[in-house]
Amino acid sequence: MSGRLRSALIIGGQGIRARKLRTFLSMISLFLGVLAVVIVQAGSEIVQRASIADIELQSGKDGTHQMYVGGQDPGALTTALDTVRDRPDAVALSSGKAVIGEPNVTPINPGGSSFDNLGSRPGRVDVICDQTGCYPDPSSQGAPKPNGKAIELRLNAMTGDVRQFKPYRQESGQWLDFASAPSLAPRIVLNKKAAVGFARYQVPAQLHIDGGTSDPTPQIVGVVDDGSYQPEAYVRVDELTNWLPAGGLGSSRGSSLQVLMSPGAADLEQTLRARLVAAGMKAEQININVVQSKQRIESQLALMRWIFLGMAALVLLIGVAGILNVGLATVGERVEEFALRRAVGTPRMLLAGIVLAETLLTGLITAAAAIGASALALRAAPTLAGGRGASYFQDLTFPWQAGVAGVIAGLVAGLLGGAIPAIRAARIPIATVMRA
Amino acid sequence: MTPLIQLTGITKTLKGQSEPRTILAGVDLTVHSGESVAILGRSGSGKSTLLSLIGLFDRPDGGQYLLGDRDITKLSERRSAALRSAEFGFVFQRFFLLKHLTAAQNVAMALVNGQGWRSRRKRKALVLAALEQVGIGHLAKHKPPRLSGGEQQRVAIARALVREPRILLADEPTGALDTETGNLVVDVLRAATERGCGLILVTHDRDHADKMGRVLRLNDGLLAPAPQRVPA
Ligand SMILES: Nc1ncnc2c1ncn2[C@@H]1O[C@H](COP(=O)(O)OP(=O)(O)OP(=O)(O)O)[C@@H](O)[C@H]1O
Ligand SMILES: [Mg+2]
Repeated sequence: MSGRLRSALIIGGQGIRARKLRTFLSMISLFLGVLAVVIVQAGSEIVQRASIADIELQSGKDGTHQMYVGGQDPGALTTALDTVRDRPDAVALSSGKAVIGEPNVTPINPGGSSFDNLGSRPGRVDVICDQTGCYPDPSSQGAPKPNGKAIELRLNAMTGDVRQFKPYRQESGQWLDFASAPSLAPRIVLNKKAAVGFARYQVPAQLHIDGGTSDPTPQIVGVVDDGSYQPEAYVRVDELTNWLPAGGLGSSRGSSLQVLMSPGAADLEQTLRARLVAAGMKAEQININVVQSKQRIESQLALMRWIFLGMAALVLLIGVAGILNVGLATVGERVEEFALRRAVGTPRMLLAGIVLAETLLTGLITAAAAIGASALALRAAPTLAGGRGASYFQDLTFPWQAGVAGVIAGLVAGLLGGAIPAIRAARIPIATVMRA
Repeated sequence: MTPLIQLTGITKTLKGQSEPRTILAGVDLTVHSGESVAILGRSGSGKSTLLSLIGLFDRPDGGQYLLGDRDITKLSERRSAALRSAEFGFVFQRFFLLKHLTAAQNVAMALVNGQGWRSRRKRKALVLAALEQVGIGHLAKHKPPRLSGGEQQRVAIARALVREPRILLADEPTGALDTETGNLVVDVLRAATERGCGLILVTHDRDHADKMGRVLRLNDGLLAPAPQRVPA
């Protein structure tokens, strides 16, 4: 360490020690401002994480062309599957209800509800909604079945790898292998919500699909995070069709077919449309939309963030005014000390640096306190929120961006509040000591 | 022998509220090492201004200033700070001790100034030697509010001596002290010249001035030998 730096540390330390209360007061004035910045930044990061992290998983990457095909037309479905089958730039995804476990029982989670709040909804879900509308669940009609060890989920059969459009995160095991020859026992990948059920309950390996004639034995190969709040499973459509009668797939109510296409697959879009119309679908039933969810949400969040950051900056400005006020008063009080220090040979830049360093240090310590306070608040949030809120806050970690924002706010405030006093300190004429 | 400092034709004009005023109109002054010089002059004659030029607080408008054989008339701020630290010691009418620091820490202020570095132990030894030199080694741990005026001024002198300067500049160091204490302080300053240090003492007190080797008078911006005192 150079002599200058060591001297600066000693002089600065003496200055702070001689004015502990004053340093503390200027910290208080700054604390709220830095806290506001940290909270806004943390809040918007958390909201952004929650809404953006899953948006690509749920609705697909921006730019993806998405086609929905109405559920009750096995002919249309087969046409669509056949058209898309060998295209690397598109995936057809047929989704329908399936049950894994004991046959002919009421599953543990009737209606395929999440295991997190089993029993929180009284009675059973007996209305199913899809894009054709809402109607009573056919399985809930007639005599109630006995409760049994079975898990209901939504089974998504795919012609290709959906992850090029929806980048599911692998949690454990593997994803489906689309290159190999189809296996006779369908390989299945669960989502996180479904995995919870399988970890909690022992269910026999028997897969029953609505419309299926016999039940295959599924092989669970992995778990992914797909952003869904319901139990779901993913399977290769060719491994499933072995077990279904022709046109069996998607024949039940509540099932749907979705085709995801990359922006370059315009030809496929036209072919598909033409074939579907030829197969008897009405042209207006075929809707294609381009996914833009992430962009939309991001721009909304960015606007909100700037509005809140603007307000936080105002609070911070008040803190800066406080630190500046204290800094100017301190320099005014130390005029003689600074003049004398210059007389004994201390370079003026060193003195200016010390004044600036004292406020920067104040800013940094304040930032650390504000960051610590908000991190603690976030940790205490689940207990304070209680009940449903608790689970929301449970797996929140303090976003590092908020920490960085706090440190920057503290440094900027220290710089703004310290610069003018530092310049004043450097300008004190040495001759002051002769005229005092 | 090369003089310690040599000023030739030094001028300084200060921009007052209305019109510029010439304070120094061509001052000549030579001081050898071990020599002590008193400067007399009525209030406002420019004694402090002259001292602030010698001490490199400020630059003259004209003339030449030699330190040894080095021309230091126009020095950068950085170099002046280094020279103030290495070559000069200052004592003022007021003591300028920091009241939250001990006597020893106040003396150490001249060592902790960003000009070179000495270990804590070395600093302690130097500080104690300086305090002992002015006769108050036993007060090292006292803070200024608990010291008398004479003791405080001796702490300030120790602060000026701790780097063993070649020139000691004192601007009315006895102005705030009673006669007896003032005499003591002048004796302490005078003793420093016995180690080869030059001393320039600005004072209003003719008795103190007469203890110096030479007595000069600043009048109308010019420095001249003071007229002999007529014995009463
Ligand atoms: N910064 C300044 N700007 C303008 N005029 C100044 C400035 N400093 C001092 N003066 C003027 O310069 C003149 C000389 O001042 P100086 O302090 O050198 O006198 P002095 O001989 O030390 O007086 P005293 O015995 O009262 O201390 C004074 O008339 C003073 O008003
Ligand atoms: Mg004066």
